Amino acid sequence: MSRLASQLRSFVRTALRGLRASPLTTAVSVATIAITLVLIGSFVVVVENMQGMLERFGEDLHVSLYLEDGLSDAELEGLAERVETVEGVDAVELVSKEQALQRFEAGVGARTGLLEALEENPLPASLEVTLLAARRTPEGLAVVIESIDGLPGIAEVAYGQQWVETYARAVALVRGAAFGLGAVLALAAFLIVANTIRLAVYARSDELEIVSLVGGSRTFVNAPFLLEGMIQGGAGAALALVILYALFRLLLPGFEAGLELLVGYAEPAFLSPGGMLRIVLGGAALGAVGSAAALAGSWRP
Amino acid sequence: MRRGVQVADRPSDESLVRMYHVSKSYLAGSWALRDVSLEIGKGELVFLTGPSGAGKTTLLRLLFAAERPSEGQIIVCGRNIARLREGAIPALRRRVSVVFQDFKLLHRRTIEENVAIALEVVGTSPRAARGRVFQVLKQVGLQHRRYHHPLSLSGGEQQRVAIARALVSEPEVLLADEPTGSLDPDLTIEIMDLIASAAARGTTVIVATHDVGLVQRYRKRTLHLEAGRVRTDAPDTGASV
Ligand SMILES: Nc1ncnc2c1ncn2[C@@H]1O[C@H](COP(=O)(O)OP(=O)(O)O)[C@@H](O)[C@H]1O
Ligand SMILES: [Mg+2]
Repeated sequence: MSRLASQLRSFVRTALRGLRASPLTTAVSVATIAITLVLIGSFVVVVENMQGMLERFGEDLHVSLYLEDGLSDAELEGLAERVETVEGVDAVELVSKEQALQRFEAGVGARTGLLEALEENPLPASLEVTLLAARRTPEGLAVVIESIDGLPGIAEVAYGQQWVETYARAVALVRGAAFGLGAVLALAAFLIVANTIRLAVYARSDELEIVSLVGGSRTFVNAPFLLEGMIQGGAGAALALVILYALFRLLLPGFEAGLELLVGYAEPAFLSPGGMLRIVLGGAALGAVGSAAALAGSWRP
Repeated sequence: MRRGVQVADRPSDESLVRMYHVSKSYLAGSWALRDVSLEIGKGELVFLTGPSGAGKTTLLRLLFAAERPSEGQIIVCGRNIARLREGAIPALRRRVSVVFQDFKLLHRRTIEENVAIALEVVGTSPRAARGRVFQVLKQVGLQHRRYHHPLSLSGGEQQRVAIARALVSEPEVLLADEPTGSLDPDLTIEIMDLIASAAARGTTVIVATHDVGLVQRYRKRTLHLEAGRVRTDAPDTGASV
């Protein structure tokens, strides 16, 4: 076996022995990390779901430009070309008064008697504008609208529903809150881990003294503690995922009903595999940073 | 290997431990060691004597870089350890082993594990370590107790474990600070014989003790300290005490 491999084995053995030596402090530390990450994780679930809906909305986001009556075909073509050159516009489709009527009739189906009663086609011609993918956000949309609005011949600009902007603001708000709360909670968990490792360093001071006397390097002394912190963090994160999933299944019916009410459709999703991985890695990193902080300055030859 | 006060005529490259005008002060105005110069050769067994507070422990602690000298130079195994950076201390300690009065064993580990620590820190494979540990435990007569824990052993046996841990890494220098200080007189000889046998195999050994009878029994070079100064450096006898 290589020297490195046997060192690694010895680090793992020492770390596990350390964790077993103080089961209560270890349990408290793991539980704290788990609770922290359950709270952070539930925010992530909510934000991911809200974000998902926003993206789905964005995919079919388009702008309808209703045109004034009485424009000639040449004027219509000219306007369409003009709009096509606007920054952020992907494609423009011209829908004439006749096409609008056909679409309306197709959409309404059997109850067409309504329009036959009218002498004149009341529907305006329109330009259906598709935005570049990058512009399908409330901000991108606003910029495009600003460049289009006021062009001669356009009677009215219609786009999405008003709630999209409000909704996007809500997503941003929730995400901001998640960041803020997450930072505070992560700090708390970091302090608990640091304290746990400090206690472990103290409990093993006799061992550290001897390791240092027989020529153990700083790495040899510190690595097991870093591993201990990482194991605590990783275990806490795994526990958090289990709790989160249980909560998700438990609260799903209510969650679904709420979404249905709000946006008309609901497919609440649990964390993506990437999200789960990030939470586990985040937990391990939290543990490692906590123990690194506890170790800083604790070792003197 | 023996010598008197005239250290200068010895080829210094043979000396594993050298001190030049070393002083150590813990508190301003008082000296734990004052202007100590000495050379100790390879395989030499040297006693460090003197009353309590004379500076014996301080001198040993300087040699394994647990303290830094306030003045002077210290060369151990060819390194100037007065200027050793912190990161280089572990490498020094793998060549310089220490035995203490209070054994410093880990009570929750077996005898075998206690000895193996000194090999673990350099990344020796567990299998190789087991073989080497068995060999050293046999040397101190404790191979049959290797799965026991330190507290189930007598004081003398615990000190033998500590000596095994010190020797398992085949150090060039072995320092012992009052190694028999907490043992019954009948165990003292047994432990000192073990330490002396390391010198016979080529390890440089320095033993700090205030046990006059012990020093006289071995008739080895003896440095007598008083108030931080070397009062006498006598070859072969404990006569200066
Ligand atoms: N860490 C320390 N801080 C302050 N003074 C110390 C320290 N260690 C030793 N001393 C002082 O240095 C002197 C020498 O002590 P020491 O080397 O322990 O002597 P010995 O081992 O011969 O009894 C004593 O006066 C002691 O009080
Ligand atoms: Mg002493």
